[in-house]
Amino acid sequence: MRIGKGMLSIIICVFLVLSLSGCWNRRELDTFSILMGMGIDKAEELGKIQLTAQIVKPGDLKSEGGSDAKAYFTVQAIGDTVFDTVRNFTKETNRKIYLPHSQVLIFGRDIATEGVQKYTDFFVRDHETRLRTHVLVARGEAGKILDVESKLEKVPAVGISHLLKAQNATSEAIEVDLKQFICRLMSKTTAPIAPLIEISGEGEKETLRIPGIAVFKQDKLAGELTGGEARGLLWVIGEIKSGIIIIDCPSGEDKISMEIIRASSKVIPKIIDDQIYITVKIEEEGHIGDQECPDKLSLPDIKELEQKKASVIRSEVLASLEKAQKLNTDIFGFGEAVHQKYPKQWDDLEKRWDDVFPEIEVEILVDARVRRSGTLIESVSQ
Amino acid sequence: MLNYLSKKIRFWQIQNQKTNHENDKMNKQDNTQNFSQSKISLNLKENLNNLKNILGPSDDIIMREFAFGKKAQISAALIYIDGMIDKTLVNESIIRPLMYDSRSSFAEESLEVKNIDIIKRSMLSVGEVKQVTTFDEVVESCLSGDTILLINGAQEALIISSRGWESRGVEDPKTESIVRGPREGFSESLRTNTTLLRRKLKTPDLTMETMTIGRKSKTDVCLVYLKGVVNPQLIKEARQRLTRIDTDGILESGYIEQFIEDAPFSIFSTIGNSERPDAVAAKILEGRAAVLVDGSPFVLTVPMVFIESFQSSEDYYSRPYYASIVRVIRFIAFMTSVLGPASYVAVTTFHQELLPTPLLFTVAAAVEGTPFPAMIEIIAMGVIFEILREAGIRLPRPVGQAISIVGALVVGESAVSAGLIGEPVVIVIALTAVSGFAVPAQTDSGAILRFVFVILAGTMGGVGVIVGLLGVLIHLASLRSFGTPYLSPLAPLSPYDLKDVFIRVPTWAMITRPRTIGWKNSQREKLILKPNPPPEKNQKK
Repeated sequence: MRIGKGMLSIIICVFLVLSLSGCWNRRELDTFSILMGMGIDKAEELGKIQLTAQIVKPGDLKSEGGSDAKAYFTVQAIGDTVFDTVRNFTKETNRKIYLPHSQVLIFGRDIATEGVQKYTDFFVRDHETRLRTHVLVARGEAGKILDVESKLEKVPAVGISHLLKAQNATSEAIEVDLKQFICRLMSKTTAPIAPLIEISGEGEKETLRIPGIAVFKQDKLAGELTGGEARGLLWVIGEIKSGIIIIDCPSGEDKISMEIIRASSKVIPKIIDDQIYITVKIEEEGHIGDQECPDKLSLPDIKELEQKKASVIRSEVLASLEKAQKLNTDIFGFGEAVHQKYPKQWDDLEKRWDDVFPEIEVEILVDARVRRSGTLIESVSQ
Repeated sequence: MLNYLSKKIRFWQIQNQKTNHENDKMNKQDNTQNFSQSKISLNLKENLNNLKNILGPSDDIIMREFAFGKKAQISAALIYIDGMIDKTLVNESIIRPLMYDSRSSFAEESLEVKNIDIIKRSMLSVGEVKQVTTFDEVVESCLSGDTILLINGAQEALIISSRGWESRGVEDPKTESIVRGPREGFSESLRTNTTLLRRKLKTPDLTMETMTIGRKSKTDVCLVYLKGVVNPQLIKEARQRLTRIDTDGILESGYIEQFIEDAPFSIFSTIGNSERPDAVAAKILEGRAAVLVDGSPFVLTVPMVFIESFQSSEDYYSRPYYASIVRVIRFIAFMTSVLGPASYVAVTTFHQELLPTPLLFTVAAAVEGTPFPAMIEIIAMGVIFEILREAGIRLPRPVGQAISIVGALVVGESAVSAGLIGEPVVIVIALTAVSGFAVPAQTDSGAILRFVFVILAGTMGGVGVIVGLLGVLIHLASLRSFGTPYLSPLAPLSPYDLKDVFIRVPTWAMITRPRTIGWKNSQREKLILKPNPPPEKNQKK
């Protein structure tokens, strides 16, 4: 009798749970197409957008003796809004698009210049999309980027996401995912940034390249940071992972490459007489990675190297600062730093930040160190 | 609705009780007709006729009539069952002294009434001799392998213990093999089994209560425990549950298990069993009781807790570090065997976003082009595996190999290459099958749960699996085995007993007996037993 009751209540519970489970759906792996990357461009027709989807062909993923069949294909659809266009894909693909594994979201140059605000809502609102998707800006049409085959990966979108991770080696571009992008977009002062992507080479040699960082003003593409400028930005926001700094030998002739091992930064705002001063403190540690000159480095030489390295870092930061102030985009998040330290003054400052930011005086303090000289003490040339 | 159903069930139960009652009455009448309570008479011929009536015409019952005494004036008869007695013992220790030696010892014609005393006292060179007066007792002992001596003119019979029959010796236990530890296992003979236990625990506290269960089988069942350590309530309860059993035959300890278990409808067994004397002795030392059943090498132990399924006697013979790792591995293996296929189904049909992208590619590529949904694939493969397993166990060994080849090649290899099922399914099922055997005590419950979880996962996804898990957990927590919570020492938590759950602490640190099993006499060893060798002397001095 007791068992009868127990069993019944368990059965009832199970059925109740069925109605509680909310949004769920049973679907087999071979009933949907896995979207790996999406590109947004303006359509030729006015006011419409064109989405390019890179979709995996699971059957061709099996690596059976160098079959040349591509493991992906791209589809394009045109529509009024993002959601509408995503659904329009099913006009050409027999399986419904499955979004969660999308690796990259690429904005075409024209759409980025016009403003990306209205196209990001769907990617945050929809339950299937993920905020971990990488955001990129194409130096041309986004759809074309997704057509470029990756040399190493079977699916190019995976190649792009690995390419972004690889930028840590130079720290001249930054990985930005949708969440970071949206956070900056929602901030009133901090400007969004995203890595740039372009096609280099032609025909067989066609390949993808990350040339730098795209800088937005509000939601509109404002400019680009490349090379040292881009690294200058990363120094300030503390995103330096690794990279090479080239300085002259103490003798002056040849060059020494220093590898960045560790770096950290601190942004300290200060308001004196209504004027905002910002101190950026950067601490860096590195090794000697490559020495062209045959000199045997003495301790004072090392000190000199550290000085030189610090000045290179300072010049990189200055370059990016100059550019940002020229574009009037607070990519460093100085506004947030001021907000946190001076919440009372912020109400007033926030309204006129566009006037304030270009006038901010920034002091850059760099503490650069050389810790080790690799596995050599003296140069090999002697 | 619940009330209505429970009323129905109660009505049905009461009806059953009534029919049981009637059955009992009938059986009792049956018994009284066959086994008369009548006393043994003075006349040997009459007694023998009476016995012949009761025992029937079976030709393995031997009635040897003979005469002894100085002038062979006293007639007597030996009754035994051929094959169940020790022939040398009967010949050398009963017939020889009576027929040859009696000529000298019965110097005078003694009164016939006294003969039986004299014989019992001074003639039979056998260890155990009993004097009885009713046919009931005579017949029962005779059927158990004792020899009966009836003497003309005596109203009593002598039951001479002479049991001896062909039986398997003490061999390696077939089910619980271990690498380090004793190699002996219980056998089918109750006496051998009690001896094995006695030899492990040489204390007068080791108590063995024997009772006979089964109207027709008259099986000897022995309740073994350690007085002073065991909880007396447990013994009372066990005794009561055992005496309640009233059935025609007990052929294996599994019969007893089903009659005395706490949760007859649960898929989890609340009674432990073992084929190893060392394991049973260890459990008795912890305050458990063991039930030995004649004719079965499997000894039951009560109470049983869930954690016991994950313990092996070898854990205690090897050093604690690896033993603890193996313990954890068994838990992982059990979870894998229960949840492996369900997780696969849930993830591939509901939560594809949970898979890392490269893994999704692999799975998607493997699944592409297979005709069945994941749940059907998994269930089909699971059933095929169970079929192969069952066939492999029952078949004679030479044929069994053929089964495994067919199973591995046809089902594993060909089904995949023919595109009927995906490779991941084969991997999941294979992994599940192997992990299932890492916890032998829960293999059967694991197999049932596996299918339940797959169905839950296939219909409700991860939510279903979680609901199922909670259900199982609630069920486990509600179980009791002879008063001990099934999930103890985890729920209710008893911190002292955690020394033998996920990790196995060194033997010198196992100071107390499990608290949830018996509170009495809980300290089992001296407090400071940690090996403490003298510090090394400085050699340079």
